[in-house]
Amino acid sequence: MPRYSPTVVDHFTNPRNAGELDDPDVRAFIGNPVCGDQIMLTARVTDGTVAEIRFRAHGCAASLATASVVTEAALGATLGEIEAWDDERVEALLGGLAPDQRHVAALGRQVAHRLVTNHREGVDDDAPLICA
Amino acid sequence: MELAAMLGCPDVAFRQPESEWEASVTAAMRGAFAEHAEHNAFYRAQCEAAGVGAEDIDTLADLVKIPLLPVRMFKQPDAHVLMTAPLTEVELEIRSTGTGGVPSVARRDVKTVSRVMTAIFTQYREFFQVGKGAGLFLCPSTAETPEMGMVKAFNVLNGLLDDHAYIVRDYAFDPEEALGQLDKWEESMTRHIIGPPFLVGRLLRYLELEDIALKLDPESLVVTLGGWKRYTGESIGREEFNAKIEKYLGIPADRVRDMYGMIESNMLAVECEHHRKHVPPWSYISIRDVENTDVELAPGKTGVIALMDALSTGYPAFILSEDVGEVDHTPCPCGRTGQTVSFRRRLQGAELGCCAVSIEKFIDSQEIVAECEIPAAAAPVEG
Ligand SMILES: [Zn+2]
Repeated sequence: MPRYSPTVVDHFTNPRNAGELDDPDVRAFIGNPVCGDQIMLTARVTDGTVAEIRFRAHGCAASLATASVVTEAALGATLGEIEAWDDERVEALLGGLAPDQRHVAALGRQVAHRLVTNHREGVDDDAPLICA
Repeated sequence: MELAAMLGCPDVAFRQPESEWEASVTAAMRGAFAEHAEHNAFYRAQCEAAGVGAEDIDTLADLVKIPLLPVRMFKQPDAHVLMTAPLTEVELEIRSTGTGGVPSVARRDVKTVSRVMTAIFTQYREFFQVGKGAGLFLCPSTAETPEMGMVKAFNVLNGLLDDHAYIVRDYAFDPEEALGQLDKWEESMTRHIIGPPFLVGRLLRYLELEDIALKLDPESLVVTLGGWKRYTGESIGREEFNAKIEKYLGIPADRVRDMYGMIESNMLAVECEHHRKHVPPWSYISIRDVENTDVELAPGKTGVIALMDALSTGYPAFILSEDVGEVDHTPCPCGRTGQTVSFRRRLQGAELGCCAVSIEKFIDSQEIVAECEIPAAAAPVEG
């Protein structure tokens, strides 16, 4: 198996939905304070469905690709559908991960779930959850 | 000398007569520059904007024309544009997280990794002549922090030794464990101490407080890499550091060797016994005017450090750092030629950004991290 799946290569090289929405309905941020992988999602949600979504990410190539595939999969999905995602689902979206890349599946699942939770509870992560 | 010959024969490469060194380093840079300008669209646009091509690089004085990438670009989310090699060729992603929290990620392709591993190994042999003994590594293992540049560089040194112990685990450091390990090796192996200055400093502080003066072995080395300024802003003084090592570890100053590098560059400058950090001839350091970084300053003048490295094929490693220092082109009493570099300080406004700072910050502040408001749903992931 190659070091990076074709999907990871594609999304790293041509990221989809990069950036940040102005005035989003919900914002979710997940970061690892030690290694520094970070993903922030901003989204607009209409009738329980993600109508628009953007990401900002820092970290390894696999985590940047994760942010991109997560936005692509979330776009048009209902919050209920996203809530059902697990790590395996994210890894499948990425077309597989090498052992040293597996941490990004949890990162992707967590930030997607957090988007759902934040929307439901009406809260925003306006600051990175990182101790600077 | 050709790049490959220099990597293979470091003893000759580090002692080329001045004119030969100039020709070798210029040719190596011109070759690397030509490759990146041809195969990297983003970089080519910079070269076209500057109106410079490989044909304009004839002498050492022309190296200033090579466009530089500001080091902060490696922190940007769209850092993929920096790549000359496709992601399929990327083998190692080395990162450093400074005090700002956003990681700087340097993606090295297969060819670069092969060259850099050779270069670092070669330099350890050239400067330390070490091929046996035991290493007390005052840092986490590469298993714990596989992407940390400093640890990766130390780990190459480990390969030259017979035994080792990594004393930092889960971001905790126990000086008693370090002493126990040194004790275990006594009488059987030459003991070396390797780590960032602040952790060697912690060991020294412990020895001082406990009033313990060790006498390590005649060939023992202390090898350091990483910042001399703590994340708290406090600086560690080199003279005092050397004196304490002599007093509490019994290792003379000429066997205390610091190194300078940064994860975005492949250059590692290693100190000789005269405490001058020799820039390898496959790299070139250009000191730039703080007010106008297009202007190169003469040797001896203090300015912003630009690191140019011919080993990198993954991305153009012609990097304008946020470090301030100077170079020296005068002959070193050790007999090596070329440049030596002195780091002075970080640029004003630049965050402290190195592996050592990041380890120290987390050793000191695990409780603070635990206290941070990370709701259960957003618990940090492993990685
Ligand atoms: Zn020297």
